[in-house]
Amino acid sequence: MSGATTTASETRQVPTYCYNCVAGPDLLKVSVHDGVATHVVPDHGATDVHPAHGRPCVKAYGLVQKTYNPHRVLTPMKRTNPRKGRDEDPGFVPISWDEALDIVCAKLVDIRARGLLDEEGLPRVAATFGHGGTPAHYMGTLPAFLSAWGPIDYSFGSGQGVKCVHSEHLYGEFWHRAFTVCADTVATRYIVSFGSNVEVTGGVCAVRRHADARLRGIKRVQIEPHLSPTAACSAEWVPIKPKTDAAFMLAMVHVLLHEAQRERLDLPFLRDRTASPYLVGPGGWYLRDPACGKPLLWDERTAAAVPFDTPGTVPALEGRYTLAEAVTHGPDGEKTHHNRVEGQPAFGEMVDAMRSYTPEWAAAICDVPAATIRRVTLGYLDNACVGETTVVNGKTLPLRPVAVTLGKTVNNGWGAFECVWARTVLATLVGALEVPGGTLGTTVRLNKPHENRLLSVKPGDDGFLATRFNPTDREHWARRPTGRNAHKTLIPIVGNSPWSQALGPTHLAWMFLREAPPDWPKPTHPEIWFAFRTNPSISFWESAQLTATMATMPFVVCFAYTMDETNHMADVLLPDATDLESTQLTRVGGTKFVEQHWHHQGVALRQPAVAPQGEARDFTWISAELARRCGLIEPYTAAINRGAGFSALKGEGADGATWDFSLRPDQVHDVDTVWDAVCKASTAELTGGRDVKDLAWFKEHGWFVVPFERADWYLTPTMQAKGLRYELPYQERLLRTGIELGRRLHEEGIHWWDTQLTEYQAIPQWHDVPAHWDRAVEATGGKVADYPFWAITTKSMPYTTGNNVGIPLMNEVSGNLRGHGAVTMNAGTAARLGIQPGDWVEVRSTSGATVGRAAPIQGCRPDTIVIPGQYAHWKTPVARELQFPSLNAIAPLRAVSLALTDATGSGADVVRVQVRKVDPPAPVPHAAATAVAQGATA
Amino acid sequence: MTRYVMVADLRRCVGCQTCTAACKEANGTPPGVQWRRVLDLEAGEYPDVSRVFVPTGCQHCDEPPCMEVCPTTATGKRDDGIVTIDYDLCIGCAYCIMACPYEARYKVDERRFAFGAAPTPAERARTAQPIVDVVTKCTFCVDRIDAGLAKGLVPGKDPEATPVCVQSCISGAMRFGDIDDPQSGVSQLLAENRWFRMHESEGTGPGFYYLWDKEAPL
Amino acid sequence: MKQMNAARRQSHWDLRAAGNFVGGGTGCGLVLACALAAAFGRPLAVWPLAVGAACIACGLALVWLEIGKPWRALNVFFHPQTSWMTREGILAGPLLASCGLALWSGQALWLVAAAPLAGGFLYAQARILRAARAIPAWSHKRVVPLIIATGVTEGLGAWLVLAADAAPLFVGAALLAALAREAAREAYRRGLVAARAPQPTLAWFERREVRVLQGLRIAAIALLAAALALESAPPAVFGGALLVLTGWGLKAVLITRAAYTRGAKIPFTPTRGRSEGRAVLPQ
Repeated sequence: MSGATTTASETRQVPTYCYNCVAGPDLLKVSVHDGVATHVVPDHGATDVHPAHGRPCVKAYGLVQKTYNPHRVLTPMKRTNPRKGRDEDPGFVPISWDEALDIVCAKLVDIRARGLLDEEGLPRVAATFGHGGTPAHYMGTLPAFLSAWGPIDYSFGSGQGVKCVHSEHLYGEFWHRAFTVCADTVATRYIVSFGSNVEVTGGVCAVRRHADARLRGIKRVQIEPHLSPTAACSAEWVPIKPKTDAAFMLAMVHVLLHEAQRERLDLPFLRDRTASPYLVGPGGWYLRDPACGKPLLWDERTAAAVPFDTPGTVPALEGRYTLAEAVTHGPDGEKTHHNRVEGQPAFGEMVDAMRSYTPEWAAAICDVPAATIRRVTLGYLDNACVGETTVVNGKTLPLRPVAVTLGKTVNNGWGAFECVWARTVLATLVGALEVPGGTLGTTVRLNKPHENRLLSVKPGDDGFLATRFNPTDREHWARRPTGRNAHKTLIPIVGNSPWSQALGPTHLAWMFLREAPPDWPKPTHPEIWFAFRTNPSISFWESAQLTATMATMPFVVCFAYTMDETNHMADVLLPDATDLESTQLTRVGGTKFVEQHWHHQGVALRQPAVAPQGEARDFTWISAELARRCGLIEPYTAAINRGAGFSALKGEGADGATWDFSLRPDQVHDVDTVWDAVCKASTAELTGGRDVKDLAWFKEHGWFVVPFERADWYLTPTMQAKGLRYELPYQERLLRTGIELGRRLHEEGIHWWDTQLTEYQAIPQWHDVPAHWDRAVEATGGKVADYPFWAITTKSMPYTTGNNVGIPLMNEVSGNLRGHGAVTMNAGTAARLGIQPGDWVEVRSTSGATVGRAAPIQGCRPDTIVIPGQYAHWKTPVARELQFPSLNAIAPLRAVSLALTDATGSGADVVRVQVRKVDPPAPVPHAAATAVAQGATA
Repeated sequence: MTRYVMVADLRRCVGCQTCTAACKEANGTPPGVQWRRVLDLEAGEYPDVSRVFVPTGCQHCDEPPCMEVCPTTATGKRDDGIVTIDYDLCIGCAYCIMACPYEARYKVDERRFAFGAAPTPAERARTAQPIVDVVTKCTFCVDRIDAGLAKGLVPGKDPEATPVCVQSCISGAMRFGDIDDPQSGVSQLLAENRWFRMHESEGTGPGFYYLWDKEAPL
Repeated sequence: MKQMNAARRQSHWDLRAAGNFVGGGTGCGLVLACALAAAFGRPLAVWPLAVGAACIACGLALVWLEIGKPWRALNVFFHPQTSWMTREGILAGPLLASCGLALWSGQALWLVAAAPLAGGFLYAQARILRAARAIPAWSHKRVVPLIIATGVTEGLGAWLVLAADAAPLFVGAALLAALAREAAREAYRRGLVAARAPQPTLAWFERREVRVLQGLRIAAIALLAAALALESAPPAVFGGALLVLTGWGLKAVLITRAAYTRGAKIPFTPTRGRSEGRAVLPQ
């Protein structure tokens, strides 16, 4: 058997990767004794290349229990009770793989015969994958099958959009190719963090980097309503009122613009790398050159308005200037010619807009002293080192060691646009955007290539990055939705990449299936819905209602690990070989989500440490079977050859070397053959053909990397080299897009997206963000005074994703963390309500109630309740016995959710609640594993 | 002389419980037994609050109160400071549990498994003889240390010879080594930083040091 | 700043362990009461001595039932150098043997051996608790006089019930012992407060169960005083029974309810980057 380091003749350590959460992938080894996996260990051989020294986090140590979980579904199963619902027993019976695939593929073949789109133009096949794209690294060649299939509706989410950093995904990628964002922790000296919880969800790389930074003397101010582990590890904790972060940040912008000396800002950066000097005229449109249409700036040297890319100018940032003539480009191609028109630079527009946002103004909203807001802002400015440089890989780059980072509930839902704008503008004001020490994007998902965002930098209009908004002009706007969440129709900024639909407002798909807004057709059900590594019944809002909606899905195929609350509605269960039982190659290193910043990049192998349990099968085998039975082997193999999900199998190096490991398209290839080709192609691509490693080599060594320059972590040098500017601070494009979208929707008689349209502003203005949630209470028949608390959620590292909720080890170690599985609240508030530690309490919103044990703590605002994690399971083994509360049970997923959705289609985990003491619930009896699920005959 | 000690840097620890889990998996401890665990302590009053994560476990004391009270000599102490338990001598009276100020010792009285009544293949493979009815605790991974020393490796420096918790720690908070060697990593950390030991006034002389600040410059 | 309370109640020594201290305390107290009687010329009090020896034996049997490996029980003798549990074990044999010989021979002279052995056994039990440094309520130095005082008090109280001898000598001795026990208990309580014992331990002094026990102890003292003043047997018997039961209650609470660890304590909070560590005050 192929193995790795051997310490004794019968023990081997098998290298693999863990990508169970978006903070990965990370490296590890599995200790296997006589064919039995006994425990997980770090991959110490990766110490010099992996930012966390080859050490995986706590979740990875649960993978052995995950493999040997006696509750696993280990044989395909089919439903015998046609009725679906929470209280209906599915009557699953074991069947063979042959029968299971026959059932599924018969339906697929039938769909192909009738057409992939139904009468509404919606795909008949839908698929949902969980947690931030990570299932892609466990689904083998399924992406090739999906690509070969054709249109699939990915809009039924499991929390995407409302439980991810959604608005930051979209605006971040739009503004600086930053689908996710982090501080340049290795060099940063001052971080203002609004709820970003890197010590919990940052992954091992973030934890290591920030620990090193603390010893170096970094200062992080953590601004959030409760004392998370990140706040614990920060120099200062500022307990801000939920959903008021935008006010704090706008006040920070105010302080930099109105209280600090102008010379302390990075004026060269603003002049040359942003749209700050672009002149803004009537209507809020850029004043453009009548001849070439380019935005104009005022050149102080020649005292004239010239196109922005005129060489040798000294652009003005402030002042009012009169131009002899200019044109403006309004919505729907409306061009207006102006004579003797006045304008001011966009920077000046921003200065005007921020004038009233003083720290005193923000203090009343945020419940944070004005002095604190001011001090934090000046600390940011003091540490920004404007004008300083540093040498990285032999290149002299600006050093700006300050960053503002945002966490969930801040960068999604209402207020997120303002927050993401402010944190990016704050970076530009001191030149800290995409330079050493500053705020960095980590990866792209709406642009390509995913593995190097620098290569995705392409010039677009007006000196900015090329963007691909969904069109909003009359001719091209997607009048009819192409997916059930209508992402192309409603969310221009989400674009149309393979990721876009899953990013779109995924809660809308579930909502509309049940109840559509006026003048909007209820979408048809997909005829077949696939689900993998996802449990929307638990991980989405108003769980009870969503479960009921899910029960109306006509045919559901779930790749099943154990029985759970979602596959309870399935018609067929297919057991895939899980983390330690199957083969796949994935990219590692370079820069990636969260804080994966390496000095290397490459690929890592996941391989079977043990044979699959029961009848579980490798996903690559399953995918090939699906393709074969659907008559799609050729396009499926072609997709593999093209590199669906990983490297293309054929390529050419920079110095002309070529390689071709393509698979014959007319054959069915087994798991090892496929991944052997991918291993070879990936290593050829990394080394320009010089060094090719096969599957056998990877099984021994686990990973292969080549150097990745730290200089490539930063986008600004590339922007500079290409003469491009960041589309900041002024959002003329968004302003135009919003007006066009509004016109299109109103032309169709759609007015239920009007509130969202108000977010399309050129410079964000504060609006009463918390009031959205107050109004939601009133809209659902409640009185705000009756729901005095803000309920929010948080995570712990053992549970940063839900896929290990049935692993006993995770629950056991989490018991050491205060508030685990409980309702955490301020101790003074608890005392006032007569609630002792461990008392059972009910947390109730206008949408529902959840119960849990109370954990009174000091580290929480008196007006805030925190319910960690996503629980309240009723079917998942082990989890169902925990009887932990869940915010998802009480956050609405009904009409009012539309009012709580912002323009990017995201919402936030916030809800107004009341709390009271209740009697303990009856304990859930311990359920032994069922023999049927294990494959024993009934 | 050799005196092995553990050093936990409280400035680094994030309370993630990776060491808790890694120790459990490597040593195959039963549910509820955590030879290494990380406490989550809160101090202060809202809004002036501090939250501190404190790795703990057997402190391998100079003057172990557990050894003093043990009626069977099952608990012993090696010359290198490691406090050991001979499971074959222990009668499971739990007196040592009552004597340990650090709550570091555990006893289970029936063989339970992670998922309930039946062991997983991994649990079946772990120990030939279940450690039930006697007291167990952190051993500083003494088997790894001894095996490593036999190969000429340095505990605290070479991963294979170093306790699992130290090797798994993702923040770099956990360190291990010989405090009697002034050149060792732990000696240098203790010289350069301010530290305390838990319940110092009990006079147990713990072999577990907590770093909390840089040493003030002279 | 003050740290949260991390104390936890011990969960390994249950009522069986408490039973050892109950049996050992009352039993040794009875042996000592028999010796007192013999010293004042009474014949060997068979029932009290038998019950006393039985109490000691039962207590040890309960411990034997509680330990994890009962069939290795003889290992308990291996560590006389430092372990008070070993020493208790070493004394047990000769103590029970001398009681047995006294009962078998009918000769009170054997109490000359049994009495100091009983005193030693009782002292060893007190020292067992004193060395249990996980539990501040047990390891406080004033637990030794408390355990000794309650053992003697229970023994004299049991004597009054079993020996049907309410002579002023024994009633007076029981009364004195009860008063000494009360003083020891108060000194112990103050000692715990001054030593900043864990808050959950201190809270037990205010609980209803403990207040009831306290009330019953006062009642016992009153009954004994009345018995002495009125030279009446019934109040002596009732008072004696209450002395025994309250002693058992005290030990049950001490071992199984108020036995909290001190919990982890940190004297300083760590710096987190550019910040100050803070001193954490003892609770």
